[in-house]
This record gives sequence, C-alpha cells and structure tokens, in this order.
Amino acid sequence: MNEKDLSKVLERVRGLTAVLEPLREVLLANLVLIGEIPAPTFGEQKRVSFLEERFVECGLQNCSTDELGNGLAILPGTKGDETILLTAHADTPFAANEDHTYTLNSHRVLGPGVADNSLGLAVLATLPILLEKLDIQLKNNLLLMASVRNLDQGNQEGLKFFLANSKQPIHAAIVIEGSPLGRLNFRSMASLGGMITCQINRKISQESAINILCQIVAQLNAIHLPQENHTFFTLGSIGGGISYKYPARNGFLKFQLRSNCDRTIEEITGSIYNILDGIAQQPGVSAHLKQIASTKSGGLDSGHPFVLRARQILDALDISPQDSIYSPIISAFAEYQVPALCIGITHAENVNYVDEFIEIEPIMKGVAQLIGILMAIDGGHQCRTSTAG
Amino acid sequence: MQNINSWLKSNTFHHSQFKDISRLVEEKEKQGLTISLCIPTLNEEKTIGKEVVIFKSELMDRYPLIDELAVIDSGSTDRTLEVAASFGADVYLSAEILPQMGAKRGKGENLWKAIYQLKGDIIVYVDADIKNIHPRFVYGLVAPLIYRREIKYVKAFYDRPLALSGQIRPSGGGRVTEILIRPLFSLFFPELTALVQPLSGEYAARREILEKIPFPIGYGVETSHLIDVYSEWGLDALAQTDLDRRVHRHQTTQALGKMAFGILRVFFKRLKQRGIVECLPELPTFLRQFQAHGEQHEQIVYEIFEEERPPMIELEVYRNQHK
Repeated sequence: MNEKDLSKVLERVRGLTAVLEPLREVLLANLVLIGEIPAPTFGEQKRVSFLEERFVECGLQNCSTDELGNGLAILPGTKGDETILLTAHADTPFAANEDHTYTLNSHRVLGPGVADNSLGLAVLATLPILLEKLDIQLKNNLLLMASVRNLDQGNQEGLKFFLANSKQPIHAAIVIEGSPLGRLNFRSMASLGGMITCQINRKISQESAINILCQIVAQLNAIHLPQENHTFFTLGSIGGGISYKYPARNGFLKFQLRSNCDRTIEEITGSIYNILDGIAQQPGVSAHLKQIASTKSGGLDSGHPFVLRARQILDALDISPQDSIYSPIISAFAEYQVPALCIGITHAENVNYVDEFIEIEPIMKGVAQLIGILMAIDGGHQCRTSTAG
Repeated sequence: MQNINSWLKSNTFHHSQFKDISRLVEEKEKQGLTISLCIPTLNEEKTIGKEVVIFKSELMDRYPLIDELAVIDSGSTDRTLEVAASFGADVYLSAEILPQMGAKRGKGENLWKAIYQLKGDIIVYVDADIKNIHPRFVYGLVAPLIYRREIKYVKAFYDRPLALSGQIRPSGGGRVTEILIRPLFSLFFPELTALVQPLSGEYAARREILEKIPFPIGYGVETSHLIDVYSEWGLDALAQTDLDRRVHRHQTTQALGKMAFGILRVFFKRLKQRGIVECLPELPTFLRQFQAHGEQHEQIVYEIFEEERPPMIELEVYRNQHK
C-alpha cells in the first residue's frame, strides 16, 4: 500500500467509531448470546456451533468445523489472491457449571469470560455485518476462525492444529482478544508453563509433601535468571494435602518460566530436572515435572510494515498504546512463519474472575481499530461507494 | 369437554419449531401483521438492558419480526428507564398513558395501558426479570399466532429452576400453580388444566382479543385472561409454547401468599359472574399473615383490592383512536 492509499485509510478510520456506534447493539447481543454458552477448554463445541450458525446467516462461504473443533468460515475478497486469518479463541477458564448469566448496564457488561474471550468471538461473529453496513470490501479473502483448546492445558492446540494442517496459505493474521484496548502484540517470548507434583510413599516416609515443595521452591529461587534475556520465573499456584492434622501425602506447584531466548528456557528446564532428581534421592519421595504449556520466542520486528501500519491506525484513533509487545499467542504464528498481530477491543477488569466486566463505551473504537488494521494490511481495500458508512 | 390430549397435541408447541425466523417474518409480512413487544417494569435495572439489547438486535435489526419495543414502567426508582432507553427501547411511564383514567399500581395496569399505547396487531408481553433471556421468548410465542389464524392467545411454559442460595434446582417453580390454580381449574374449568403454566408472565395475543377482556391490575391478571378467553372463544383459541429454561428471581412464601389471595379474589369473581357459585359472601380485601418475634406472634394485615380495568374497547378514546 502506498502512502496515498494509507492516508485515505487513516482518514476513513478517524470517522469510523461514530459510524459504527448505531451498530453497537448487534455486537452486544452477540456478546451476550455467545458469552452465556459455557465453553471450558476442551468443551467449546456449543459455542463454536452458535458461531457457525451466525456465519451461515451472514452468507459466508465454507462454514465448517475442522477435526479438532475449530469453527471456520470465509468472507471472499474481491480478488481473493491472498488470505488474512482473523481469529479469536473460543474457550474460557470457567467450568460449565459456573453461572454464565451476563448482566448489562449502561456502561458495562458483566459475566464470566466476557473479556477473555467472549468479546473477541462476538467481534468475529459481527464483523461481516459491520463490513457490509460500512460498504467495505477487502481485496483479500478473510478467513474467520474460532479456535479451540487455547488456554492452559489446551496449549493453543486448536490454532497449532489449524496452522499445521491448513491447505490455505495464510499471508497475515490478526488475533482478537477482548482486552485491553491498546495492546499491540507482535512478538512471543519463549515460555514453559509447568506443574511440579510431589508424592510421599507413606510406607517409607512420614515427610510432608508441602515441606518437600518448600525445598523445591528454595532451590528454584536460587537458579540464576539471566537479566539480559528478560527471564522471569512466576510461582502461580500451590496446593496439597487433605487436613491440618496429617503430613501432606501429595502436593503440586504450578509455575511459569519465560524469557526472550529459547535456549535459556531449555537450560533452566534442565536445571529444574536436576533439582527434582536431587529431591527424589530422599527415601519415599518422588517429584515430577509436567509441561502444561510452552511457547517459542519469535514474531515480527518493530519495523515490520504490519506493525507500523497498525501503530498508525491506533494513533489515528487516539488509542493509548500498551507497553508490552509480547503475547504467547504469537508463538504459534512465529513457528509457521505467519506474520501476526494481536489486538484488544476494550477495557476490562477482574479478568478470569467471576466478577469480570468490560466497558461498553470504548468497544466501537476497538472495532474501528480492527477494521482499520484490516484495510491497512489488505493493501487495496475497496469501498462500494466513497462516502459509504 | 374437549379431549385435553388432542388439544395438547395440536396446540402445544416447542420454540425450536419456529427457529427459522426469516420464514416467520415472511409469513408475518404476507399477512400484513404488525407486532409490538411490551416489557412491564418496576425497578429492573439489572436485567432490562440485556432484554432490550437481545430483542432489539435479534428481532428488530437482524430480523424485522417486531415493529415496536416498549418498556412500560410503574414508577421505578432505579435506573430502569435510563438503561432501557440507552439501548433503544421506547419508554413510557404507565401513569402518563391515559391519564384521565388515573394511575394504579400493578403489572396488569401496565399490560392494559399497553393496548392503548402500542400499535401492533399482536402484542407480546415479556417479564423484565428473566436472567437467561433469549429471542425464543418472543418468537416462540408469536409464531403460533402467525401460522395459525384460529389461535388467539399463546402462553409460555418452561422448565423453571429456582435459584436458592446459589444452588439450582433442576425443576420446580410454579408453586402457586400446583397448590392453588390447578386444583381450582380441576374443580371448575377442567379443560384449562391443559395449560402447563397458567401463571407464566410471558404471552402473546391478538389485539382483537386483548381489547375485549378486562384486566385485573395485580396478581390475578393471568388467571382471569385464561378464564375469559376460554369462556368467550373456547380452548381452541388458546395455545402454549415450551420455552425451555427460565431463570428468574425467587419469591418468598409470604409474597406467594399475597399472589394467591389476589388470584382467589379474581377467580371467585368470575365464578360468581358465570353463576357457577351463586351464594358467595362479599369477599374481604384483607390478607392476614403472621410473623414470629421470639415466642411472640404478630399478625400482619395486607389490603389487596385486585381492582380491574374494563375491556379497552369500552373506552371511547380508544375506539376513536382505532376507528
């Protein structure tokens, strides 16, 4: 896209939020209808089916579900030479038996998973209608995908499966997350999400698994973390035992290790195995490391044209940029060499807690941002009428 | 007496039968029908926003099934009207509709005034306290009226769990129905026992029916409608639709007692009007309940009038409006 075309896009984007405002209820209705369908990781099918119905209603092509359960549909471009993937993950960290009722007031939508990631899916479901109302036709095909098995032990399985098996070459990808507005992630850090489990054989030892875990924590904290690689270690969750009266027979510790260097993660993982081997020398004690999720470092450089254009779109909409350029979701794209960006739609609080909520007012600005980035990376968008919208 | 089983087969529907909303809209437009949705409210700011968003987006913007979406409010002191208006509903204060008739408190008053205020050939009423609102709460009720001209009044029924201390009971609710209404219908109007949930707050009806029946302003409005429609047009004019699950607020036993009292007054009035029971005494308007303070018991007396509004067609101002 040349500078002249880009300035046209930027000019249009500046007025887009106001034009989209009357269509807000369509998006909010989709948000509620989608969000109230429970979708724990590995249990997303009802939510994906609903989305597929919406895709069919919009007249999209190839509405289907792949072998892993990802929901897919194509909005054909005017030329269709290349394909842009637009994706949002379908799962939430909430169990199916949680109360998924949503509440709306004038300013907020409240409910489990509303930001992560019912809003992302609602944008996916609504976008074809919005583009039609705005008279925007992209040159390239838009492949819409609700990906499954993304969170925690899902380990982005749906997205990885799609990228590994899709026969359709993907030329660019945008990942939609509900929040926060202003995030622009284009790199992934290397990471290891792991769980250390500890078991005590009662016939041999009266030791408490909690005590053993404390020894492990002390040794983990002693590992050298190279600061030049931005290496961090997060102890996220710990549990074990059944009562205050008896020494714990088993326990677990969940952690995340991340760094911008794959090699550093490999080395520290080796150190963790050494620690566990040492701990297991104690009679009747065993300790194991189970990998929950992992990512590789990679992604786009700050000077990549997609990143530059996306920043110009955010700037044109006066969206305050967030600091971090990293998101684990970029890892899968980096692995398959697909240039990808991850953006957020609005502001949220209490994300992943049952009192999660999003702010309504910034939503259409977040959607305008998405449409702007799409037009900018499409490289030749067409409007049926120049004053449309 | 009609065979209830055959009526159940022919006049009981499931909302999923009407899932094809575009076909429904096509048929509605072919017949030149207009549909108004009325949500009666009193302090419903927590749930009204979601109802308006879902109905407006799905049934006005996406599919033009309803032509008018109105909230008729009894004088909420919270932000009900502000929230409803912010999402695009027409909002009315019940007291400002037909002011010459005065203002009475009660849901039935709002339903009655809706007949004057709203324009549709079909009016569908949906309560504002439904937590799991879905477009089926409207299309499931209006569809039998659109597809079957002889049907005039459609009631909702559901698998209705009660939310108690965070626990969800898989079935239940309808306590007043099972303890009061069903025994009364069995005794005096056995055909009406075919209605699974006669007290459900969601129903759709043709204007030609609604304008000809009286409206109790309080708890008895649903019971009286069934008796009046049945008496005038027969069981075949009635239908019911299974809307699956409905999640709503739980009412206390005391509140249900007040509801039962109001319904009984309306019910006995109709027995008397129809000469079914002739020697009824003048019915008192006082309900007596008790509450305990330690070992002391205190009687609480509530006055429940259960006033009725006349058939709308009897109002000259309405007849002039609908010439």
